[in-house]
Amino acid sequence: MRRRTFLGRTGVGVAGLAGLAGCVDGGSDGEAGTATDGSTDTVTEASTGTATGTTAGPSGTLTVATYSSFTGEDTAGNWLKSAFESEYPGVTVEFATPENGVNQYVQRKQRGAPIDADLFVGLNTGELVRVDEQLDAQLFATVEDRLEGADRVKEDLRIDPQGRAVPYDTGYISLVYDEDEVDEPATFDSLLEPAYEDALITQNAQQSDPGRAFLLWTIHEQGPDQYLDYWQGLVDNGVRIMSDWEPAYNAYTAGEAPMVVSYSTDQVYYHGEDVDVSRHQVGFINDQGYANPEAMARFVDSDRPDLAERFMEFVLTDEAQAEIAVRNVQFPAVEGVEPGGDFGEYALEPPEAVTYTYEELSGNVGEWIEQWARQVAGN
Amino acid sequence: MRTDRVAIPAGVAATVAALAVLFYYPVWSVLVAAVYQGGRLTLAPLAEVLTDPFYTGVAHHLVTDPLGVPGGVVEWLAAGAPPVRLGLFGFTAYQAALSTAASVLLGLPGAYLLARFEFPGRRLLRSVTILPFVLPSIMVAVGFLAMFGRTGLFNDLIGPLGLGPVELVGTLEIVVLAHAFYNAPLVTRLVTAAWESVDRRQVETARTMGASPLQAFRDVVAPQLLASLATAALMTFVFTFMTFPIVLALGGLELATVEVWLYARVQDLDLAEAATLGTLETVLSLGLTYAYLRYEAAQVRAGGAGESLDRTPLFDGLRSLDARRLVLLAYAGVALVVFAGPLLSLVVESVTGPDGGLTLEYYAFLLELQRGTAAGSVRPLPAVRNSLLFGAGTLLLALPMGVLVSVVATRGGRGSRAAEALLSAPLAVSGIVVGLGLLQTLVFGTELFGHRVVVTGAGAVVAAHAVAAYPFVSRNVTPALGGLDGRLTDAARTLGASRARALVDVELPLVAGALVAGAAFAFAISVGEFDSTVLLAEGVDSYTMPVALERYVGNRSLGPNLGPATAMGTVLLAVTAVSFVVIDRVGGRWER
Repeated sequence: MRRRTFLGRTGVGVAGLAGLAGCVDGGSDGEAGTATDGSTDTVTEASTGTATGTTAGPSGTLTVATYSSFTGEDTAGNWLKSAFESEYPGVTVEFATPENGVNQYVQRKQRGAPIDADLFVGLNTGELVRVDEQLDAQLFATVEDRLEGADRVKEDLRIDPQGRAVPYDTGYISLVYDEDEVDEPATFDSLLEPAYEDALITQNAQQSDPGRAFLLWTIHEQGPDQYLDYWQGLVDNGVRIMSDWEPAYNAYTAGEAPMVVSYSTDQVYYHGEDVDVSRHQVGFINDQGYANPEAMARFVDSDRPDLAERFMEFVLTDEAQAEIAVRNVQFPAVEGVEPGGDFGEYALEPPEAVTYTYEELSGNVGEWIEQWARQVAGN
Repeated sequence: MRTDRVAIPAGVAATVAALAVLFYYPVWSVLVAAVYQGGRLTLAPLAEVLTDPFYTGVAHHLVTDPLGVPGGVVEWLAAGAPPVRLGLFGFTAYQAALSTAASVLLGLPGAYLLARFEFPGRRLLRSVTILPFVLPSIMVAVGFLAMFGRTGLFNDLIGPLGLGPVELVGTLEIVVLAHAFYNAPLVTRLVTAAWESVDRRQVETARTMGASPLQAFRDVVAPQLLASLATAALMTFVFTFMTFPIVLALGGLELATVEVWLYARVQDLDLAEAATLGTLETVLSLGLTYAYLRYEAAQVRAGGAGESLDRTPLFDGLRSLDARRLVLLAYAGVALVVFAGPLLSLVVESVTGPDGGLTLEYYAFLLELQRGTAAGSVRPLPAVRNSLLFGAGTLLLALPMGVLVSVVATRGGRGSRAAEALLSAPLAVSGIVVGLGLLQTLVFGTELFGHRVVVTGAGAVVAAHAVAAYPFVSRNVTPALGGLDGRLTDAARTLGASRARALVDVELPLVAGALVAGAAFAFAISVGEFDSTVLLAEGVDSYTMPVALERYVGNRSLGPNLGPATAMGTVLLAVTAVSFVVIDRVGGRWER
């Protein structure tokens, strides 16, 4: 199944590899043109091209940059680490979890500091747009057409026209509401009605993923010219905008309001005999949910480009997709994977998934959010 | 003898060097982005902010149309002085002023209670007044929601009295209350220390000369308290001017402050605008600090090295319950609701499951984490250990640094006010600006002679904590040191003691109370610090309790709740409470 030989540590810089490209085809320098659809990658199991000439698998340390809750006990990250390490006994997977996420690497690149990681796991569309707006140089390499299994990623989740960021799971932003207090709002306009006065808690789109997704959803539905008026209506009807998901959900739990912007997987956490499910109803406005795919991408500056891509392929296998879904409580990104157990039973998928593409967000998302924040804060 | 002589200058030099590397250089690297763009100096970003009504509200006319201002004011008065648009800066100052007033109102009676009355548990209470200072804002927000939320304890308490329900969440009131929760203890702490160092003999002298107790208070005691009260109020104003997590967590974006905006700009990597906001904020708070220091220096203080005032028993049988004591009891009730309520709610939350039943699941989860070996696991015990070690390290560095700055402040000649303001700058610069600067300089590394020099790890964390903490030591020690009778030092020096020896042997023992208060602050800053710790810490080895807590907030393996984080918060509460009591008691041995 493994289509390429892994080279171990190349010991030469990324640029230096171009000179070796004749004997070591692997496209490890991130130039999309060098390896078209993977068809040139026909090297078999044996390490024909390497100087070491051993038959042992790849070895070394792979550094995966991600967000902190992806790592730790019983997380998707740790499952991936163990499973990948047992498939490649010579490899150690390490995690880096910088507090400021992908910004850390954008700033490192800008300042000429070493990247110190091989791939980033947990990138969303808006962040990818920001990376490209901030940097003239490439931070991530184009890898998608070289990755086995990448063609199975669901079409509407693909976030990167340049094939750098490959989705591995997705959440759907929806409302969670208490059906004893309010009816499910059918449309966005219904949220402006007196029945929903002081009823909704959402999050600050400047820094919260679900908050940003909800704002983008309203722009998607109301239009970029009308969304500020719509939000003025929401503010007038008493929407509350809290910093992040945790305080927002906590306020919802404390009964501060009967609706909160959250994920459609809420009931995976809250189910069972002693749980009052009426407090955990999932509301799909307009019968929609806003898809927020999470993607992984390999750094151009990686010392171990092949190992990083091998890891990405591993993440896209059926087994890994099912495990990530269950452990990260997000939906698989690949077609045909059905996570079983509680997740299969309680995670709800919206009838229609909407999202903004990279092109639509490009050049807009920063301005949309700032105008929105000025509107709300200026009240 | 020679080393003795150079000890103070050498210490000052070391303090300045540490500041330069760990504070001024990183902060400079951020602020420079505000005035230096595309390779040349520019005032454009600054002008853009100042002329934008969103930022400066009605005050933008001062920049855009200065000549029209008098006419505008007349027009405005003629219209009956209707409310004007404050802008982000105006609103930030407004809420800071309200928060300062609330903190003083809530903190001052506490100082009176602690300084003038004796009751069981007084010293314990005095020790733990500093506790709120170390609590991460997310925990305070949780505590406040649990206490003052719609279905919170407060409404449960006043409900049977036929009052309420009070809806506070999302309002300016709850933000101000939370700021008071953080800062009133600061007021209490600083004023108590000053009150305790008032010389009893001076009051007695005034009384024998015929002053009434009230007159004696007004003429002798109050002037000595005023400096510490002004310090506390200024600090509170500066802190609440730079507030951000509390506003976001309890108030929401509608109540955004400058710092909220700065943080959002940083997250969006719009560093030029962030730097501009940071510069304006820093100029404002440094200016305030400087003005205050001038005021403080102008205060004439009488010598305070005598015996402290006697405390009267708070409870002395039912007959002692006079009006004064009844008011104090009422105050204790209010304080209990504001301070103990949220903390208690936090603890309750840590043992309550989602269904409302009692559970020890979250503590079991902490134990399980402790046993775990998974990559990226943040184990609780190393976090506790690191917090205590870093706290101790911070004490070792911040105490001498703070004392040295106080010496400069009290003995300096011309320009010592400006020097002191510059040395106190860590108080006046926002945590986000410092954190960002540290990230871009020390964490990413700097090219020096062809090598990339990177400063991370435990040493860097301790140094950063010390830089943040020493101004609290000097703000405690300076007024006390300034209040000493200069003739004592002169006498020591005439007898052959060096300046350093006189300081250590004569002055410091006399200001032990203030020194201990400063030590407790330094420790508290270290334990509670988050922003720079998380940037400077290298991996799991240097995680502190607040970092662990933040990681547990993001951990949803027990479902979408804050259970594990509240359990860690309770541990943090317990560990720090014990530490402060120890600091106070051990430090107290040096008191009379």
